[in-house]
Amino acid sequence: MLYVVLFFLMFSLFLYVVLGGADYGAGIVELFSSKENQKITKKTIYRVMGPVWEANHIWIIILIVILWIAFPEYYNIIVIYLHLPLTIVLLGVTLRGVAFVFRHYDAIIDNSQKLYDTLFKISSLITPVFLGIVFGALISGQIIIVEDIGTLTFFEAFIKPWCNMFSILIGFFFAALCAFLSSVLLIGESEEDNQHIYIRKSVVASIIVFILGLFTFIYGYVTKSVFVYEFITNTYAIVAVVISALLLVPLWRTIKAGNKVWSRFFAGFQVFLILLAALVSHFPNIIITQNQRISLLDNLAPVSVINVLGISLIIGGAVILPGLFHLLKSFKMIKILDKNNNPSI
Amino acid sequence: MENLDAARLQMAFTLIFHIVFACIGMVMPFFMVLSHYKWLKTRDPLYLTLTKSWQKGVAIFFVTGAVSGTALSFELGLLWPEFMKHAGPIIGMPFSLEGAAFFVEAIALGFYLYGWDKLPERFHWFTGVIIGVSGVASGILVVAANGWMNSPSGFDYIDGQFLNIDPVAAMLNPAWFTQALHMTLAAFTATGFAVAGIHAFQVYKGRKVALHKEAFKIAITFGAIAAILQPISGDISAKDIATRQPVKLAAMEAHYNTEKGAPLYIGGLVDAETQEVKYKIAIPGMLSFLAFGDFDAEVKGLNDFPKDEHPNVPMVHYAFQIMVGIGSLLLLAGLLYFVSLKKKQWFANQKYWLLFVLLAPMGFIALEAGWIVTEVGRQPWIIHKIMRTKDAVTPMPGIVVSFYTYIVVYLTLSVAVTWLMIRQIKVLNSSNH
Repeated sequence: MLYVVLFFLMFSLFLYVVLGGADYGAGIVELFSSKENQKITKKTIYRVMGPVWEANHIWIIILIVILWIAFPEYYNIIVIYLHLPLTIVLLGVTLRGVAFVFRHYDAIIDNSQKLYDTLFKISSLITPVFLGIVFGALISGQIIIVEDIGTLTFFEAFIKPWCNMFSILIGFFFAALCAFLSSVLLIGESEEDNQHIYIRKSVVASIIVFILGLFTFIYGYVTKSVFVYEFITNTYAIVAVVISALLLVPLWRTIKAGNKVWSRFFAGFQVFLILLAALVSHFPNIIITQNQRISLLDNLAPVSVINVLGISLIIGGAVILPGLFHLLKSFKMIKILDKNNNPSI
Repeated sequence: MENLDAARLQMAFTLIFHIVFACIGMVMPFFMVLSHYKWLKTRDPLYLTLTKSWQKGVAIFFVTGAVSGTALSFELGLLWPEFMKHAGPIIGMPFSLEGAAFFVEAIALGFYLYGWDKLPERFHWFTGVIIGVSGVASGILVVAANGWMNSPSGFDYIDGQFLNIDPVAAMLNPAWFTQALHMTLAAFTATGFAVAGIHAFQVYKGRKVALHKEAFKIAITFGAIAAILQPISGDISAKDIATRQPVKLAAMEAHYNTEKGAPLYIGGLVDAETQEVKYKIAIPGMLSFLAFGDFDAEVKGLNDFPKDEHPNVPMVHYAFQIMVGIGSLLLLAGLLYFVSLKKKQWFANQKYWLLFVLLAPMGFIALEAGWIVTEVGRQPWIIHKIMRTKDAVTPMPGIVVSFYTYIVVYLTLSVAVTWLMIRQIKVLNSSNH
């Protein structure tokens, strides 16, 4: 059952990164668009994200709940040491969600739309940056685990673990990844005349992701980051990352050819490979602190808990996944099923 | 401000908001679905206008409820890490099922909101039913987790260790049913009266009377039925608390000394120093009867328990009085509505509508008061008799800053949501039907 739980943990992480990421990315794309294009993007986002965006964001709740049920010690470290960036993420999630609904459900369209738009765009950038910072903080090697946290200064305990160059770079890397996913998604969803906007954006975003990723690695290597050293000495991780980088070539070709199915597949698969590489290089020691490594599998919840959780997840998955699939299908989000609309297959 | 106080206030504050959003988000779909049903039956465009207007309300409240709920799922850990470290695995089951129910709700909502003219009519309507049912299921599951804090079960507590964990027994703790029943009825009462009150105000003002009258009738029917059933659930809860958490019962009634044939105090000012309740109305033997079904039964007083296990007695007592007082008022108003269905001439009376306008916020005031009773009444424990709240709080200092930030954000949010609702109604009034 532990494997079932681990599978769902990784599965929700992946889906949150891909679906939630594309969702955040939509706001980032809108933020970095010209005025004219912003309007087009806003409309497209509403049409594409409207039916599914709540569902996209529930993955993080599932993720958090699995963490606290099955991996309580691990969760305990995250919520204590990363209180501040997580609070910023929360405020970002709150404001972003509210702004999205307000701008699409306000019965009267007037100047207040500007405020909603600004709020939406800015929180769409800040939230994934801080989410990335949280991921980064867990592997940055700056968390100091002590018996009595009172012996540390406030800065050492609650700021330094996440407010460091490496974590911040990961934060921006993740935001760029979101923008990349989103622009690839938007190509297939926008009207014919506007597709060139997102084609250009997705190429630019993929270059930024590549450069930021490379830069983060070089920085980590120079500053002797444990994570980076483990990463480059792990064959699987290196292979996964190299494949992911090589896939940029077919990705660009499919984007240019206007192939919605394959471009999405490549983009999603690249993100999957990046996540896989990051996890495989130091699994199960997912937290790297200054003085030790903390395994996800240390201090697991008792077997009875893991079993019940595994069964709940299987039942929940059996109910949710078909429903989610039909939702995506009904609103033509899965292009491969949408034969009329896709001459390129 | 102490870290503990700031953390408790932040938790209370965010919960107070979340409860309102969540209740509306879980009950309003039923109004929407009923109106939608009437549209499908009668093809009267009035019902279509109403359904579409309510669906916007549902969407707005679903999202505000969802984001404030996401915030809470993090806050549990951020503010109470020691609690979650031990309790997380034990009460994980209702939370994971709640996650699933919530997911189903979000999927159904996606279908419903965007499915007009795209999905087959009946299936589309049915997705609306799923929104409501899964919303209520989420509510019940979360309350079950809270019930565990009041009546921890499903583990053995040996030398400070939680052993032999049984998540199913933890979920089905002795308090889950009484609390969930009481809360579900409260949600229907509060939302029913609030929505009815808003539409009553429009009728009172003479705007789109036909439409708002129908809206009023749908909402108040749910609210009235729930308000009439609530005392039964209240009685079950009282009898349950009397045996399970006698300190809480004693605090609710500001009952200091153990006695047989204990009187029920209505109202009154509590002086915690002298342990006296002034200006109250006392009904002899009634507390014993309500707690144990026997006018002569012995009811334990607060003085039978160590002082450091007492909650804030005046606060719990006042909150309890407010809850019961308003509950009784809404019960009468509910009966009044059913009488008015026979006496149609009342609908022409402005005072009738004004009454329901004034009652609009009452259900929510009672509901929040009820949560103050159960949560403040549980103190000083975060897990009843196992872990104290002060031992669960985060070691990170300066929570007071985060508390003030939350106050600013949530107050802004509630002003914005209210403003948005006013605009919805404005547009509804200028529509063609």
